[in-house]
Amino acid sequence: MRQLGQLEAVVMQRLWSYDRPVAVREVLEDLRQNRTIAYTTVMTVMDNLHRKGLLTRELVGRAYRYEPVQTHEEHQAAVMGEALAGSNDPASTLLRFVEQMPPDEVARLRQVLASRAPKRKGRRR
Amino acid sequence: MTAPITLAAFAVVVATLGRWLLARSAWPDRSPRLGILAWQALSLSILVSVVLAGLALAVPEIPFSTNVAALLSACTVALRSQYATPGGAALSVTGGMLAVTVMARVGYCLVAGLVTSRRQRRRQLEALTLAHRGHEGSCDALVVDHPAAAAYCLPGRREQIVVTTAAVAALDHDQLAAVLAHERAHLRGRHDLMLAASDTLRRAFPRVQAFSDAHHATVRLVEMLADDVAARRNDRLTIATALVRLAEASAPAPAASLGAGGSTSLARVRRLVAPAHPLSVTGSAIAVLVAAALLATPVAVVAAPAVLATAADLCPISFSGQMPS
Repeated sequence: MRQLGQLEAVVMQRLWSYDRPVAVREVLEDLRQNRTIAYTTVMTVMDNLHRKGLLTRELVGRAYRYEPVQTHEEHQAAVMGEALAGSNDPASTLLRFVEQMPPDEVARLRQVLASRAPKRKGRRR
Repeated sequence: MTAPITLAAFAVVVATLGRWLLARSAWPDRSPRLGILAWQALSLSILVSVVLAGLALAVPEIPFSTNVAALLSACTVALRSQYATPGGAALSVTGGMLAVTVMARVGYCLVAGLVTSRRQRRRQLEALTLAHRGHEGSCDALVVDHPAAAAYCLPGRREQIVVTTAAVAALDHDQLAAVLAHERAHLRGRHDLMLAASDTLRRAFPRVQAFSDAHHATVRLVEMLADDVAARRNDRLTIATALVRLAEASAPAPAASLGAGGSTSLARVRRLVAPAHPLSVTGSAIAVLVAAALLATPVAVVAAPAVLATAADLCPISFSGQMPS
């Protein structure tokens, strides 16, 4: 299960790097440059990714050509957005280092820190 | 008949007066681990008292015995005599229903909560595995491209710490190390399980303020506990600075999103810029004793009559296994 997840990640990284629709065969040849892997494995992984809605595909001749639905940047933004959206909720499934807070609260934090911190830490971003 | 009333009264006192006393205490912030323990003991004490009150109503004299056959026959006798008294059957059924309903509700909410959060975490982890940019230096954190600073951990079997590129940019080397130590403390200490427990009771009985107070206190105290663990290897001021830097670089929240007491972060920065000030040994011992007393009392209320009766040899129930006709 874990291994398949890793492989999905590798295949997605490749597809994001191509910038055009590709067939399973091309991904396979690319992957074979640094590992031994079967055609059916790559096909299964890409089919899974298609089922999960990460790839679109189009039949060209007798083979499917796959392409990512979102760019890498869009995908990351969506994942993080979803993760952080509910993170202030006390029922959240993740433990966040700092909760999101309004600007005046940030100012109060800065004030408390400045009251004790030596000058060298007084840098503001 | 005294046991169910005593237990119910005890549950009410703990849920009102006990909750009020603990909620206004300042000491849990000083020793967060004991604070969490106190809230857990308080919650569990209420729960156990109510369940035992129901059981005591169903079986008025729970005849304690190490002999299972004797215990069963004694229970049968006790139940029979209960059903023989007018209104006894109705009381028994009500008590039994109460105990079973409460336990079933807690069990259901616990399992449902664990399953939901596990599914969410797995889905997120899968998405992150695809999205991440790489691992941060020597550590175990996933770095994800994102314009808002954030650092968090996903607990569970496949635990994972996640930081955004904006967070890495906002922190210097020591500050990042402090943040990672804090998140690692959450994972090592299984703080997610503490939160799952308090969240279960809060969801099971949303009207009971003691349970929602306990959950909110636990949310706050696990953060302070993780700060304290991180402070063993990191400078307290570095942790405080990291907290403020991340708050600055994080996406701002709307003004209404904070509770009346201000943010937990403010309390954390205040205690981090001051030297550590944990409870004294005596104070800690008192806290542990009170927590133990909260848990022992409901059990003692139920067990006391049986223990006394056995000791005095006045028990009307025959423990030899013979059933009086």
